[in-house]
Amino acid sequence: MERTTVNSVQSYSRPIPLIAIILVALAVHGPLLMMQLPAGSFDANFHMFFASHYAHHWFNPWNEKWFAGFSQTTYPPLTHQWIALLSNVVGLKMGYMLVQLIAVLLLPVGVFRFARIWVEDRAASYAALGSIFLGALAFLVYQAGQLATVASAALYLNALPYFYEWITESSGRSLVKGVAVSLAAAAAHHVTLIFGVVLFAGPVLWVAFFDARDERVSGSSAGVLSRAAVFGVAVAAGVGIVLLPYWLAILQHPIHQIPIPHDSRANFLLNSTTAINYFVIPYGALILALPFIFLRGASSRRLIPLLFGFWLTFIFGLGGTTPLPRWLLGRAYDILTFERFTFWATLMAMPLVGVLAVEILDRFQAKVAVALSLAAVGTIGTALWWLSANPYRPTGSMNVEPVIAFLNRDGHDTYRYVTLGFGSELSKVSTYSSAGSVDGDYNSARLLPEMTHYGSAQLTNAKFYGSAGMASLRAMLEHANRYGLKYIFVHDSYYEPLLTFAGWRKIETFNNGDITAWSKDDVPPAHRIDSDAIPAPWQGLLWGILPMAVSLLAIFLELLLPEGRRAKMPVGVPVRAERAEQHSVA
Amino acid sequence: MKFTLPIILVAVTAGLMTLALFGAGHSSGTVGIAAGSAVFSTKASTPEQGLNNLLADVQRRNWDRAYSALSTTSAGDRQSFIQDWTGSDGSLRSFSSLEGFQARPLHATNDDAQMRVRLHWTTPVGPIEDVRDFHLIREGGTWKVAWPKMQISSVPAQIIPVTYLRWDLVSGSGSDEWGSKNVDAPHVRIISMNAVDSAEGAVVMGEVVNEDTIPAFVNVNAALVDGAGKAIDDESSFDKIDHVLLPKQVTPYRIDFPNINLKNVKNVRMDVKATLVPASADPVIGVMNQKVVSDVQGKSILQGDLMNESGQTVNIPHVIASFYDNNGKVIWVSDGYVNRALLPQSGQPFAVEIPKSLAGKVQSFHVVVNQYSLVRS
Amino acid sequence: MHAPASAIAGEEVTISTNGSGKATFYLLGPGVSRKSDVSLGSEVQLKAQDLQNAGEYFAFLCSDTCRSSSFYVTAAKPASLTFLVHPSRVPVGQGDAVSGVALPFDQFRNLVLTPETVNFHLLEGTASVFSRSSQTRDGIAWFRTASQKSAGTLQVDASLGDLSARRAVQQVASDPCNLRIKGERTKAGILVQTEPVRDCAGNPVPDGTIVSFTATDGNGRSTVDAPIKQGVARAQLEAPGATVISVASGVAMGNELRIGAQP
Repeated sequence: MERTTVNSVQSYSRPIPLIAIILVALAVHGPLLMMQLPAGSFDANFHMFFASHYAHHWFNPWNEKWFAGFSQTTYPPLTHQWIALLSNVVGLKMGYMLVQLIAVLLLPVGVFRFARIWVEDRAASYAALGSIFLGALAFLVYQAGQLATVASAALYLNALPYFYEWITESSGRSLVKGVAVSLAAAAAHHVTLIFGVVLFAGPVLWVAFFDARDERVSGSSAGVLSRAAVFGVAVAAGVGIVLLPYWLAILQHPIHQIPIPHDSRANFLLNSTTAINYFVIPYGALILALPFIFLRGASSRRLIPLLFGFWLTFIFGLGGTTPLPRWLLGRAYDILTFERFTFWATLMAMPLVGVLAVEILDRFQAKVAVALSLAAVGTIGTALWWLSANPYRPTGSMNVEPVIAFLNRDGHDTYRYVTLGFGSELSKVSTYSSAGSVDGDYNSARLLPEMTHYGSAQLTNAKFYGSAGMASLRAMLEHANRYGLKYIFVHDSYYEPLLTFAGWRKIETFNNGDITAWSKDDVPPAHRIDSDAIPAPWQGLLWGILPMAVSLLAIFLELLLPEGRRAKMPVGVPVRAERAEQHSVA
Repeated sequence: MKFTLPIILVAVTAGLMTLALFGAGHSSGTVGIAAGSAVFSTKASTPEQGLNNLLADVQRRNWDRAYSALSTTSAGDRQSFIQDWTGSDGSLRSFSSLEGFQARPLHATNDDAQMRVRLHWTTPVGPIEDVRDFHLIREGGTWKVAWPKMQISSVPAQIIPVTYLRWDLVSGSGSDEWGSKNVDAPHVRIISMNAVDSAEGAVVMGEVVNEDTIPAFVNVNAALVDGAGKAIDDESSFDKIDHVLLPKQVTPYRIDFPNINLKNVKNVRMDVKATLVPASADPVIGVMNQKVVSDVQGKSILQGDLMNESGQTVNIPHVIASFYDNNGKVIWVSDGYVNRALLPQSGQPFAVEIPKSLAGKVQSFHVVVNQYSLVRS
Repeated sequence: MHAPASAIAGEEVTISTNGSGKATFYLLGPGVSRKSDVSLGSEVQLKAQDLQNAGEYFAFLCSDTCRSSSFYVTAAKPASLTFLVHPSRVPVGQGDAVSGVALPFDQFRNLVLTPETVNFHLLEGTASVFSRSSQTRDGIAWFRTASQKSAGTLQVDASLGDLSARRAVQQVASDPCNLRIKGERTKAGILVQTEPVRDCAGNPVPDGTIVSFTATDGNGRSTVDAPIKQGVARAQLEAPGATVISVASGVAMGNELRIGAQP
């Protein structure tokens, strides 16, 4: 008995090996992804649609299947291009799952490496292990389908330790690797990098400055700042070049559309369902740790930057529950969605959660180990249960094969179409049919006035945007002849009165009446809509080469320039508050 | 520092939340069909708050809470209360959601108040505005709405003989020899056209008749052309026309050109397209007691009653009216959807607005009724 | 190279050549191109399947130099008759309202341009109402005639030799004529109905035609657009006061009916 206890104490006092953490991540998320659970998420079909275009037209980002033509340079391509590559071997859907799995496996590695900036290895390993079970991660992967956000966050967390090493130790190897991984992160999702600079890199720079000033690292304070500037300039220049077609597109057509409501911008105090969806589910058991995070974060000067970073991200994640995001972001507030901030906040909290785990494990051992395990499993379990309990859940599995078959036969693809009530299945129809639609599932790429002049998103979800959504749909239907919009597929009888009064007639039913096809007789065939947003051929080349190249570069650098030694942790990194204070003073 | 900073951060967070609830940066409404209840709601200490709370619950379809907040003097049961808001029989109201409202007091004392509310509904056919008066009573320091008893139309069981009449379209399965399958499109004609400027832009309107002996599916398009012969804009009659015309039937049409002034227009190119469609001669809807009057807000309206003379339910009636001056020229076309379903052999009131500037010129009018029936659809 | 001046579609043609040695022969025609090696001095046989399309053909013979010749292929004898009749529906009693065009084609779908005699024959039931023989001009024969007085199907035949084609024109009633209504007060209002609606030639107006009833009393105006069913249109009007009821269908107006106030 005594021997067992000793072993237990010893096992709890060591960091969990990283490979074991990765295997746990694989064991937890691997089966879920191989079961293709995220296939029904909000954005999965969107990502597969983009990937499908790259699979067929790698160097031509102009896609005529949505919005009567739009440029895919409006969304960073890395994850889509990787799916496109893999789709040649395993198919589109499994390609998506594999890329998502890679992102999910990279995440605990990133959390571990990021946490080691702040806390010692054991706490960092607990942080990494905990990140596998985050409700926010499950929310983004299985409900929202935000592949790019997860992939980019994972890459970015892996880049930050290089940033820290470079600015504190002037390690050239870290500079090269940090810049390469940062560029890969930007090529996956630009928004993560832009906000990551403030929310993640800011606290890292701040603590590096403390460490230099307190001589816990070799570099001077001025050196830290100047090297941070060098890193920043290198990344900014790199991102400018790698995503040049994106910047050109956004400069040519800044997002001037009327703001589209999104529940993540709502005040969670005014709607319990929204509060559950965007706060309770993503945070899960972390809510119980919030007092500790605040108290421990404030107990050490070295952790204060992390605490501030967490708090600011936490506030942003609350969306419209506080006015701060609107004040700080201005117009961007109405373009962004805020569930990603909650995800980032949980990632930033993990180092402190790791410390909490260390402390209570040291004190209570096995009992707490069980409790922590239950909390972790309960958090991800609740998030997975919420997939079916959520009143805002995605449309689910609808059989759109007959719609795709209809569009691909008898020359129906010479006209454009719209789906109504299809939710994210619109992207699936678009991926596999040869016809074009005036609708689409990516708000920032829309240029047609019938869509941008109203505060609504996809036409297929028009009713969920109230009068604005229906006004947008009406405007589009009024101009059906202009766009060659002949066919409408309805999966929600709500829209049938409008179609009837506007002169469409039901021509076919699919799936025993689950979906109906409507047509208007006097619509001429669709013709190409002139647009000044068509990227030049050289932009297509750049877009097809650089993002993939930086990701390959990052992989090769990781393989060719392995970490020679563990990142040197500053002396006196706090594990317990009182000790930390002592070390700081020392 | 250990406690000070967390206290400051928590206090700032709480302060920001309070600001969002009551002051700056108040966030806009949520997307989708409202669900869930407010974690925080205000007490009905004024008539406005009492009414706001009720209508907020109606918006969220939180019927238990809404009904329990009614005054004890309310008439009618829970079911009729809900049905009043959600509609029935596949009517337009049953497809509608209450999107917003603006209330203003008509009169108030210490114990009761009368409020007039402009209700903004979102519907499949566009936004619809409804004006309704509410009576509130103070009960135990809380203002509550006294709900009146609703008249729910009911139809007695009966058998209505129908002489079934419809046209089917057979495309033919014979040889594809040239000329062997020729069936001419229905012959329709624009019998009047008038272009005017309105507050929202240019409007082209008139009437179309089906001169043929078979039903026609009709759509009217118009293109505005400037002095250089260049098209300024092209639009269609969309839902401001009865698209399916039976033989000899006349329909008004209206084509709106938002933000365009007729002074820039040299010519209007009209294009009426007619195609063969299967159609039914039923249901027959009468338009009774039509007259031009002023409503409570002082607007000129054409009001009347729709009477369903057939045996099938008309779920969403759509009224289109053309107004003529003393020369018989169409000077305006108005339309409006009726919220309640037209049950067999029963009626529903309707009203369509006439622009103030034209009300005095209206000498005559013609009303047609378009309809959406779930059965037919 | 000597080619015949003309040939018939689908028949073989022989082109003679002079000289000696090898040469390349090219044939270009409507939808046809062919290349072959020939010996000068021999005859070039053009197969029937190379000459199925009517039109001008060019033959080229190239050795050191190229020489060309052209010939015209005309359509073979008529093998089918395409017949277009307009309109498919026509009101009765309309002058020059029915027209038909016949086009003879050979077995290769070439329009036969040589004059041919086409017989047009119009039947109402079994009674012949129109007959005319017409020679094709530039491959087209046509007729135009008035619609008949009574509604029903007009059978239109075109024949050329043993070829024939048949079409049908639906003759429909014209606008209503002498529209008359009668009505009476009932518990539910005023029940009004037309007498059987016919056009001026006495043909019943098709069922489904809309008849508009309008009742005007002190309360306002009530209208019902009712379709004709089994020859008559009916409507129920609400008008409690002394009422004037009028009726119209298309451009035709009917009589007015005055009904006293509800007792």
